[in-house]
Amino acid sequence: MKIEDYNRAVSMGMTRRRLLQTAAGIGGVAALGGLGLGGGMAFAQDNLRAEILKIPGVGAGSPTDADWQKVGEMCLGATRANVAEGEFAGVELTFMGLNNQNQHNVLFRGFLKAWETYTGAKINWVDLAQADYNARLQQSIATGTVDFDVIEMGAPFEGDTAGRGLLSEMPDWVKQQIDMDDYVGYLKAPVGTWDGKTYRISIDGDCHTFAYRKDYFDNADFKAAWTSEGNSGDFGVPATWQQVQATTKFLKGKKDPLTGLDAHGYLDPLKGWGGFGFYFLESRATAYAKHPDNAAWLFDPDTMKPYVNNPAFVRAIQDVMDVMPAQPADQINADPGTTAFQQFLAGTGSMISWWGDVGSNARTSDSSVVGDVVGFSILPGSDDVYNNATGQWDTLPSGPNYAPNMAYIGWGVYVMSRVDSDEKKHKAAWSCAAHLGGKDIALWMAAYPSGFQPYRNSQFNYPEWVAAGYDEAFVEDYLGSNLDSYNHPNAAIEPRIPGIFQYYSVAEDELAKGFAGQYKSAQETADAIAAAWEKITDQIGRDSQVKLYKASLGM
Amino acid sequence: MIIEAGGQPPAFLRLSMGQALANEGDLLHVVTNDNISTRRIAFGRAIVWGSAAVLALTGLTQTLQETGLAGFGYSNWRPTLYAYILWAVCLCWSQVLIRGEQGKRTLFVLPAALFVISMVVFPLLFGLVIAFSDWNLSSPTGRTFNGLDNIRQMWRDPFYWNALTNMVWYSLAILVEYAIAFGLALLLNSQIRARKFFRVAFLMPLMLSPVAVSWMIGKSMMEVRFGPVARLARELGWEQPSFFGSPELARASIMIMDAWTFIPFMMIMILAGLQAIPKEVQEAAKVDGANAWRGFWEVTFPLMLPVSITAILIRIIFKLKLADIIITVTSGGPGGATDSVTSFIFREYRDRSNVGYGTLLAMVYLVLIVIAMTILMKIAERWMRPQY
Repeated sequence: MKIEDYNRAVSMGMTRRRLLQTAAGIGGVAALGGLGLGGGMAFAQDNLRAEILKIPGVGAGSPTDADWQKVGEMCLGATRANVAEGEFAGVELTFMGLNNQNQHNVLFRGFLKAWETYTGAKINWVDLAQADYNARLQQSIATGTVDFDVIEMGAPFEGDTAGRGLLSEMPDWVKQQIDMDDYVGYLKAPVGTWDGKTYRISIDGDCHTFAYRKDYFDNADFKAAWTSEGNSGDFGVPATWQQVQATTKFLKGKKDPLTGLDAHGYLDPLKGWGGFGFYFLESRATAYAKHPDNAAWLFDPDTMKPYVNNPAFVRAIQDVMDVMPAQPADQINADPGTTAFQQFLAGTGSMISWWGDVGSNARTSDSSVVGDVVGFSILPGSDDVYNNATGQWDTLPSGPNYAPNMAYIGWGVYVMSRVDSDEKKHKAAWSCAAHLGGKDIALWMAAYPSGFQPYRNSQFNYPEWVAAGYDEAFVEDYLGSNLDSYNHPNAAIEPRIPGIFQYYSVAEDELAKGFAGQYKSAQETADAIAAAWEKITDQIGRDSQVKLYKASLGM
Repeated sequence: MIIEAGGQPPAFLRLSMGQALANEGDLLHVVTNDNISTRRIAFGRAIVWGSAAVLALTGLTQTLQETGLAGFGYSNWRPTLYAYILWAVCLCWSQVLIRGEQGKRTLFVLPAALFVISMVVFPLLFGLVIAFSDWNLSSPTGRTFNGLDNIRQMWRDPFYWNALTNMVWYSLAILVEYAIAFGLALLLNSQIRARKFFRVAFLMPLMLSPVAVSWMIGKSMMEVRFGPVARLARELGWEQPSFFGSPELARASIMIMDAWTFIPFMMIMILAGLQAIPKEVQEAAKVDGANAWRGFWEVTFPLMLPVSITAILIRIIFKLKLADIIITVTSGGPGGATDSVTSFIFREYRDRSNVGYGTLLAMVYLVLIVIAMTILMKIAERWMRPQY
């Protein structure tokens, strides 16, 4: 769908979610018809999906290793079709991944137990804490000591690995086994590919969505005050960053309808978070900076000149500075973890950008008090968008510009090129990865605590969730905001270039100085970031960065 | 003959023994007389030089391969490591072969020395090579020598100078910590009730991991909305308490948390010193008419100077390594106000994979610490001398 058509439909009053649901529905019916799936096969598949969702059952406590093993065994059908029993006898694979919150690798062990028994392969595990992951991976690459065959890795590291030929290209049988067409829009090529070759099996989706407090925006007192204070329009959920700014300033000095403490508007994390904090400035900036005509929005793809000090980013930094007086006390010391878990979920503030965790925790976490009053949508848009080609602010005929931030893109499973020389090992590694990236196992991973979020269109089949015991309205709202972001035609996808977190980390340091008033203006802060980024680009190698950035954009 | 417990005979005896045994060697320290054949000595020399040649050859061929000048089919540096171990074993063995009894004594120290060389000196030299390199782990070109560029970059790096300035403030806070620690030690040294309980209780903070302190105190008790410290502050009339909001306050909060953890350490050292002072000295001062104030300043304090200086010096070394609390609580913010050199290097090295520059910063910091500590120790020595 063309962006203009999309935006026109939205401006005609069709909600973004309804539009995409309709489109997905039509597409789904067409696909079923086209494939002519027999009722029996579809039923068996549906039955499997319903059956795995019963393990252990929503509300029956956290799944255990026995549950993971059971799910892994039930989802082994695709492997059985492509691999003979005992085919990989004698093969040993090393799998490197995370052990965050006892998920990730811990979960994979259970999932792959039945796979190991069936194929005869043995897996040796390298478990890493999140904090050690980056350093371990980069040291392996830099010192030429890649000692693993399969790796759980985030897309931002593709530049470091695929860009250096360290990854194995995905065979066609794997593409079919995992049904890649089912991936949500932004995870399709060029994401996961380099120079036209596919490397990534997605197991996770990541994007920032906008969470807000419905009790604020339904509040009659606020509505009356909004009008009496001379604000234009009705008081409601902001659809643009301009409205977010106005609402945040308006709420200063008012009282929170739920807690009775001070009311706050949008929560900005003002403290760094090991590089991850920069995603939050991005989320404020993408609507200003990501023009529908240009896939690049953080760097100029021809020169790697940073866009971070262009008027779009400067406006986003200025926005943050403008509402700092309206933020909770001590916000200068609040990182993204604080804004989400200690503030928003605990009842402070009314708007926040975050990953899906806020949605899944709002209802299930004991420390959340906003479960009944939280709503979700895609990130706000902007009335105008900066055009890097012309140096002008464009007002699109279709209305506000939306550009959801696909922050971190999501985890994937990759096979290293060192297995390519051994045919048996090559097939075993890809079969192992494909098992984890399977369509049915994905549904289970999205519905239960796994550390992963939905990344396939088939995971957004709400009746499946409702049948498994989820609340329909909540699931539609929470998952819908993710689906709308993933499939948005103007999604802002981060550059998958080597060292992207170095850029983020140094930007956090400079932003912290800017927010603490050590630079004279937002422009000066942005210029300092740009200067530091230029230095990093020169150090890593400008020519190679340009080449890899273009490759990652599919240019 | 009576020999004292320490093993040394009285001086007059030693003199006569020395004269009597002058022609028979140092029998007091030598158990046997070695009769080492020349063949054994030759064999000893052969193995040490032979293994050294193997090491040199392996090292050379590996270096040639690494620099791309020739190919020898090595897949890693292990051959050189094994050659080094072989040489180390041969060197130790040759000591016994060549020097007999004397060589056996060398063996008490030599393996440890070799271990230190391989684990400390060699990495330090390797670190120096890295420090003068442009090495970003994400760079496809790998490590390249860049001369003094890293030093120039450091010279112009406001973040590093800011962190160094902060370290001066952090180090000055030790004087206050010392005063408090001295007070607490005096208190615990006096006859108070439940003295043993307080000694243990006051030591508790030192037993906690600084990361735990960061979470328990910095991120929980000092949390501005629900933290008990913030509530108390509100009760006392501070409407919007914020412990890490302004640069000065944030730095003070970090100082207080760090002080809370480490004051017990100074306190326990000073307490040990206080207990070692003979009671008679203070009693004599009392008899001479000194009041408590003069007794402290003219007797206790001067006697405590050596212990105090040691405690302060060790504390400075601890302080210069301050990073964990800062990384956990403020990440160096707001705007770098609480950044320490170590926390800055941590970000530069780990978050930005800037190995060359990060190593140089650490090396420069090491040199600064060594110089500063040497000067401090010299000054301290001069202060202490007139007291005796």
